[in-house]
Amino acid sequence: MIAWHIARRELRGGLNGFYVFLACLALGVAAIAAVGSVRVSIQEGLAREGAVILGGDASIAFTYRFAEADERAWMEAQSEAVSEIVDFRSMAVVERDGAVERGLTQVKGVDAAYPLVGDVQLVPQIPLSTALAGKNGLPGIVAQRVLIDRLALQIGDVLKLGTQEFVLMASLEREPDSAGGGFGLGPRSLVLTKDLANSSLLEPGTLFDSAYRMALPNGADLDMIRAEAEAQFAESGLRWRDSRNGAPGLSEFVDRIGAFLVLVGLAGLAVGGVGVSAAVRSYLDAKTGVIATLKTLGAEGRTIFTAYLIQIGILSAIGIALGLILGALLPILFAPIIEARLPIPAAFGLHTAPLIEAALYGALTALVFTLWPLARTEQVRAAALFRDASGPVRAIPRLPYIAAILIAFGVLLGLAVWFSGVWQLTLGAAGGILTSLGLLSLSAWLVRRIARRLSRAKAVRGHTALRLALGAVGGPGGEATSVVLSLGLGLAVLASVGQIDSNLRSAIERDLPDVAPSYFFVDIQNAQLPAFLERVKGDPQVSRVDSAPMLRGIITRINGKPAREVAGEHWVLQGDRGVTYSQRPTENTTITAGEWWPEDYVGPPQISFAAEEAMEMGLDLGDELTINILGRDITGEITSFREVDFSTAEIGFILTMNPSALAGAPHTHIATVYAEEDAEAEILRDVAADAPNITAIRVRDAIDRVTEALAGLAAATSYGAAATLITGFVVLIGAAAAGERSRVFEAAVLKTVGAARGRILASFAMRSAILGAAAGGVAIIAGGLAGYSVMVFVMDTTYTFEPFSAIAIVIGGALATLLAGLAFAWRPLAARPGQILRGQE
Amino acid sequence: MTAPVLSLSDVQLSLMGNAGRVDILHDISLKVTRGETVGMVGPSGSGKSSLLMLMGGLERATGGSIQALGHDLTAMDEDALARFRRGHMGVVFQSFHLIPTMTALENVATPLELAGASDAFDRAEAELESVGLGGRIHHYPSQMSGGEQQRVALARAAAPRPDILLADEPTGNLDGSNGQAIMDMLFGLRDRHGSTLVLVTHAPDLAERCDRVITLKDGRVASDNRVVAEAAQ
Ligand SMILES: Nc1ncnc2c1ncn2[C@@H]1O[C@H](COP(=O)(O)OP(=O)(O)O)[C@@H](O)[C@H]1O
Ligand SMILES: [Mg+2]
Repeated sequence: MIAWHIARRELRGGLNGFYVFLACLALGVAAIAAVGSVRVSIQEGLAREGAVILGGDASIAFTYRFAEADERAWMEAQSEAVSEIVDFRSMAVVERDGAVERGLTQVKGVDAAYPLVGDVQLVPQIPLSTALAGKNGLPGIVAQRVLIDRLALQIGDVLKLGTQEFVLMASLEREPDSAGGGFGLGPRSLVLTKDLANSSLLEPGTLFDSAYRMALPNGADLDMIRAEAEAQFAESGLRWRDSRNGAPGLSEFVDRIGAFLVLVGLAGLAVGGVGVSAAVRSYLDAKTGVIATLKTLGAEGRTIFTAYLIQIGILSAIGIALGLILGALLPILFAPIIEARLPIPAAFGLHTAPLIEAALYGALTALVFTLWPLARTEQVRAAALFRDASGPVRAIPRLPYIAAILIAFGVLLGLAVWFSGVWQLTLGAAGGILTSLGLLSLSAWLVRRIARRLSRAKAVRGHTALRLALGAVGGPGGEATSVVLSLGLGLAVLASVGQIDSNLRSAIERDLPDVAPSYFFVDIQNAQLPAFLERVKGDPQVSRVDSAPMLRGIITRINGKPAREVAGEHWVLQGDRGVTYSQRPTENTTITAGEWWPEDYVGPPQISFAAEEAMEMGLDLGDELTINILGRDITGEITSFREVDFSTAEIGFILTMNPSALAGAPHTHIATVYAEEDAEAEILRDVAADAPNITAIRVRDAIDRVTEALAGLAAATSYGAAATLITGFVVLIGAAAAGERSRVFEAAVLKTVGAARGRILASFAMRSAILGAAAGGVAIIAGGLAGYSVMVFVMDTTYTFEPFSAIAIVIGGALATLLAGLAFAWRPLAARPGQILRGQE
Repeated sequence: MTAPVLSLSDVQLSLMGNAGRVDILHDISLKVTRGETVGMVGPSGSGKSSLLMLMGGLERATGGSIQALGHDLTAMDEDALARFRRGHMGVVFQSFHLIPTMTALENVATPLELAGASDAFDRAEAELESVGLGGRIHHYPSQMSGGEQQRVALARAAAPRPDILLADEPTGNLDGSNGQAIMDMLFGLRDRHGSTLVLVTHAPDLAERCDRVITLKDGRVASDNRVVAEAAQ
């Protein structure tokens, strides 16, 4: 009660001097609240539009084949309507004035029932059925504007898919079910499946997916239908999806990114925490006299602690509230911009869950970072009044307080794990933040040590400004620690993002120029292969051609047991994989264990499996795998392991079998062609002229697509890191502002003993630069460690230190501290010493 | 008679306070000659500190002129004043005003260093020894008592052998015996280096140790008396 009265009286002074405290907390909370709100908005949008995105209430998909009659019959029995979709890559070809233009496109063949849910939007605004009906005896096609532009098409122009001509009827502006699909390599075009009959594109063995969208009766039990479907058709490679999660890929992506950004936000909050801690410390230091007086008057340590805890609590509540308001408003404000980049309408609005999450994080962070300085109020002695109170207490708080700090931290960590749902990443990030803070504390300590040493070194004597700077950094009561901690942590987050981003980019780039092929050719029919090989191998500008038969299969069983029960959720088991067969190991193959089958082997099927993936899945030589290929089960024994490198864009198969095992299955071939750039166009033209069904994927284009996706990701992360850095700057400015009083004093004394302003300014500048460089230095180390961990442990590739972004960050750090320091050097330099130093009678 | 080291004529000082303009000093004219020890007394708020600050170029006069060692302080800018103080003026304050991030040695060495002395640290050490702090040169101000801090301040002011020593109630924050010791040192310094000393003080017995006592009242010189040297040596 007394504590409350004390707190209230102390707070009457208003929020002056607490702006940094409030800003630090508010920024951190706002960032987390905003990220959370956007995530929930998108997820709710996805949930609400589930059926539209999926294209029906439920969907059953097959790879490489259409539904069998019994499967189709079963689906029709369940549904009010069924719509069949086929999806594959192809080349759109336009002949104009004797020249031929080609563009890779992701073709979707539909039936009359499409779309079951949602609307297709075309320009000109004609119904889809009208568009696909075509004109002048040719079937219609609609395509995304990107493709139309790339091929310089006009509405009404004729183009070819395979051997079939289509007339372009409209541009495809909105495809309701676009978000549900995977990562397409080319722009979308839409035709009627029946019009593809003469295109020679859907021959047996061609790579395509089919999907059956079902409109279910109201109140249908999705779980029951799913269970029935899987019971009946699971082994035939059926993939079930329903409207409860229409775009699992997108949804998971949003969740991942959201979780990741929240972690970045937590780093920001930690930076804010450092600022909050520094603000509370300097506030309480200034209160030493008040506290000592209260003690003289008989207040117990506990009362005083409570009084200041209440004050800080109230301030925290204000800061968090500000943060929540900001964090809730920002996404709503930016909704139109965010929405424009989404394939689906998101449900922007006020979402309480992410706000509560952010508030909890904020409160716990405030607690973790303020308990320490608060606990020290207990140790202020009444005697402080009678001594010069310039030296604040520097004792370690009593055990209960330390326990409380640890508990609060534990709860914070637990919440973060719980909310993010990705515990490894969360613990990794928490570890990273703690390591960084530890490194930064250590470096702050070291910098102070070294500075103190150096300030006494003979070499520095005579360089007054430098000695002053070193003395200020190393001397007691400096702001060194909080500047290095806050700025360093902010920069560390930025450096990590920088290192990871540039490493990912160079990982892609690195393997490209000399190693990567120019083209992937897919869907080469058996009969077309000899002519194809003759054309490319005979070209003097082609340095290398690899080809392999290509089938797709799903590993359904391992040693007779369902594969997932044995090897869990390994990526090799998710969906279908490429399967090939080969008489001999290819030239570059390294067998790591077991033995390749003899040539002309015709016994029971044998499998050579990728070594690293086998190890991850726990497979051994002699294990039996059942692979479903085109609805047929093939069971074979693993007789060898081999190294497969997926990073070089060479043809790499997880599964290779002996030829006789797969000979009966219809299949096509895949080929990679390494050609000089000026020969590429001609090869493409000749191959397409001979075999229009063959799809050529330019590797450079594909990599550009991946890089683009990566750039978007890096941008999102950069925004998160920016929030952290802004908080870091606020802390920095807070520290500089807090240091202004002592600078004013120092400048006055220095002028008195004969220092000109230039010298004083130089000294202030050097002090800032030293601290900034220390923060930047640690940031580089932390960024390197984070980059290494992510690249090696998460991305499974190699890490190289990227000096460019690192150096930029150190310079940025030093500059930022410098600017903040100089911004607050004006008053100290301008003040007349007489005004500052006159007696305080 | 020697040339004056300090010469003030019609000096005025007005400051802008919260309640508007405050006239602090009115038409002060006086001369201090080399080697003189001037005590400045007067009631609190009479303008003693202000006058001392003006003499040291730490405050700007709003009227009149101040000459120190033949230089016109009123015509100099901040940096020129700072440079002028090197080797010419030492100031001791009531609240010591040591730089907290520097050790005693560093505090004392700073003015020497600024003046370009190559042996700044050796001289600083010697100076600290002469005020009895030879064993504490690496201590920070916060690790020292008030009396010790003031001795460091004294050493800092005296180390560059200034022509003029200005002291504003140097014992005001100290107890009797510490104050006594500081005063003895201050006068000792004056004797050894032959500096001119201007000393603001409340204590009548201290004033008596001066050659001359100026009494201020309401920003004016109320009296200016030469102390008849006891026993006329
Ligand atoms: N910055 C200021 N603004 C306005 N008035 C001031 C300022 N500093 C001092 N004064 C006033 O000037 C007068 C002289 O002060 P000071 O020189 O400190 O006197 P003394 O040292 O004799 O006690 C006092 O009335 C004081 O209140
Ligand atoms: Mg005074």
